[in-house]
Amino acid sequence: MTVPLSAALFDRRFVLVTGKGGVGKSTVSALLAAQSGARGRRTLVCELNAQERIPAIFGRAPVGSVVTPLRENVWGVNIQPGPALEEYAEMKLKVRAVARLVFDNPFVQRFMQLVPGMNDLLMLGKAFNHERERDAQGRPLWDTVIVDAPATGHGVTFFRLPKVIRDHVPVGNMHEEARDMWALLTDPERTATHLVSLPEELPVQETRELARTLFGPEMGLPPGALWLNQVPTPLFDAAGEAQVREGAPPDATPALQAAFDVSQIRLGREAQARAYQAALEGLGLPLVALPLLYSRELGPAQLDALLAAARAQGVP
Amino acid sequence: MSAASDPLFDGARLVITSGAGGVGKTTTAAALALESARSGRRTAVLTIDPARRLANALGLEAFHDHAQRVEGAGPLWAMMLDMRTTADAMVRRFSPDEAAARRILDNPYYGAFSTSLAGTQEYMAVEQVHALVRSGEYDLVVLDTPPAVHAIDFLTAPDRILGALDNRAVNWLYKPRDAGERGQPQGYGARLLGRGRQVVLKSLDRFTGGPFFEDLASFLQAFSALFEAFRQSSRAVQALLRADSTRFLVVTAPYPGTVREAIGFRAELVERGFPFAGFVCNRVHDARPAASLDALAAALGPHAPARLAEALATALADHNRMAARDADGLAALRQADARPVRVVPLMPEDVHDLEGLSRVGRALMQNFSSADTF
Repeated sequence: MTVPLSAALFDRRFVLVTGKGGVGKSTVSALLAAQSGARGRRTLVCELNAQERIPAIFGRAPVGSVVTPLRENVWGVNIQPGPALEEYAEMKLKVRAVARLVFDNPFVQRFMQLVPGMNDLLMLGKAFNHERERDAQGRPLWDTVIVDAPATGHGVTFFRLPKVIRDHVPVGNMHEEARDMWALLTDPERTATHLVSLPEELPVQETRELARTLFGPEMGLPPGALWLNQVPTPLFDAAGEAQVREGAPPDATPALQAAFDVSQIRLGREAQARAYQAALEGLGLPLVALPLLYSRELGPAQLDALLAAARAQGVP
Repeated sequence: MSAASDPLFDGARLVITSGAGGVGKTTTAAALALESARSGRRTAVLTIDPARRLANALGLEAFHDHAQRVEGAGPLWAMMLDMRTTADAMVRRFSPDEAAARRILDNPYYGAFSTSLAGTQEYMAVEQVHALVRSGEYDLVVLDTPPAVHAIDFLTAPDRILGALDNRAVNWLYKPRDAGERGQPQGYGARLLGRGRQVVLKSLDRFTGGPFFEDLASFLQAFSALFEAFRQSSRAVQALLRADSTRFLVVTAPYPGTVREAIGFRAELVERGFPFAGFVCNRVHDARPAASLDALAAALGPHAPARLAEALATALADHNRMAARDADGLAALRQADARPVRVVPLMPEDVHDLEGLSRVGRALMQNFSSADTF
């Protein structure tokens, strides 16, 4: 059972991308940014304290914590907890010297490092502030802010954090920030959370658990699409597949033998991918399958190939 | 070459699989443990990831607070870290008496903080692995490290926890504010320091909404009674992690970005004096003989459909393109470190049973001669 993609999903302003480590969250974040930019929306894509991957996908050098253009209508930034905290402290405590006195204090720093998810919250807060940025005319500076969120495990804690703080810290700046952030995360008008997975046993298992947690009654985040990355495109017709499974003829040249061998591996991975895709279709989320490209690089050309494949499946 | 004489296991008490997420750390840990057990060593494998990956791979339904025997795999035990149980056991072990332990265990913040303070997962993991090694019940313990954005977090987290438990830090934040400056040296410098502290605390209140930090500090003060015991235990753990009998494997996939991260992580391990024992590279496409479409079509014979030859040629070319990429990744790993890289080839299916783990295990043990020493 496939769920249709709604075009309106891609008009949300705050877009989160999450999944198990190594499934291609950065690829999908870059793809969503390219897609959003191509639709004429001013788009900012944020990595959180990451080994930057997204600028390279656009063929650019790492951008660090400075908002930097990546392609037409697309900007990138790697949010760092240190600068984010400093900026936030200055905003709230008004006086730079006081902010420094507080947050440069070695004891305070030790505690800050220890508070559960403090860094994650600061970085999410910074991304959240980008969503709130307005120009001189009062118009939003960004039409879309995309956040490449931490890997799951860490991921669920990350999404739950604003709610935990809202409920446990009764008053003060942190409470207000967390309350507003949670309101944004759960607002289906403004926000969508996309999941990324691979057609493999363990990522699929974790995706199912993640979908239940994030989109279920406890958290109730508005779901985006489920992006299944690296799906091998079928190469053989039925007759060819049968012949490959039979194996190479006994008098095969070494190269022909090799071609049969790698084709058998490929058929195995295709069949596995089909089974996992079917398992994920039961989740009730719109599913976009991104083809495995067999390419050495992941750069602008591959990004555009993935974008074309996504569009062929109804992504506007 | 069998696991019995692999230099990885020779003289080893603890093998740690580390690296970025999604590169097959857990599978590698389980496969190594299986090989070790099959060669007759009493082996325990500890995983931290709450997603029960290893449970899947080992066919276990659930994990418990002690290691479970794995059926049909030699003397092999598997265990998933239970954060709360490990934390409770630590508090009991380090408390001078039951009353002191109860003060901490009954603290309302304990429930939240024992499992969610940044770095506790890492701290508990090394504590638990220390307990397994110290128990003397196992010849070898294999530890699968928690997923982290930065692999080095696993090694730095315990120090961060100890830093915050330090009495000076806790007292500084927690001392009652009015009484705090009384009875202290009254020199100009001390008064200035006291004033600074007031400003800092007041500003923190505005920032956090008041009681948050004080509650945390009061909890940590109760906890800091155990500080000395913690610190001693931590020293023992650090010594274990740096021991000659400990082996850090850095697990990676052959993709360019992933390889760069693995090489960076190796450098950090070596710099900090941890016994790095080599790279494991999973999902490697091995180079096959190349052939043009015409050559394959000719080899197939005149009766084979043209479509089949085309598809076979594409499959072979795709595979060899990936093999070239993977060879570059392996070359970079070999340039970064002289030890042989343990290469696991791409398989038609993912590993989720003992048979699959055996295949991975055999690949991990291959191509190692006794000349390769650590």
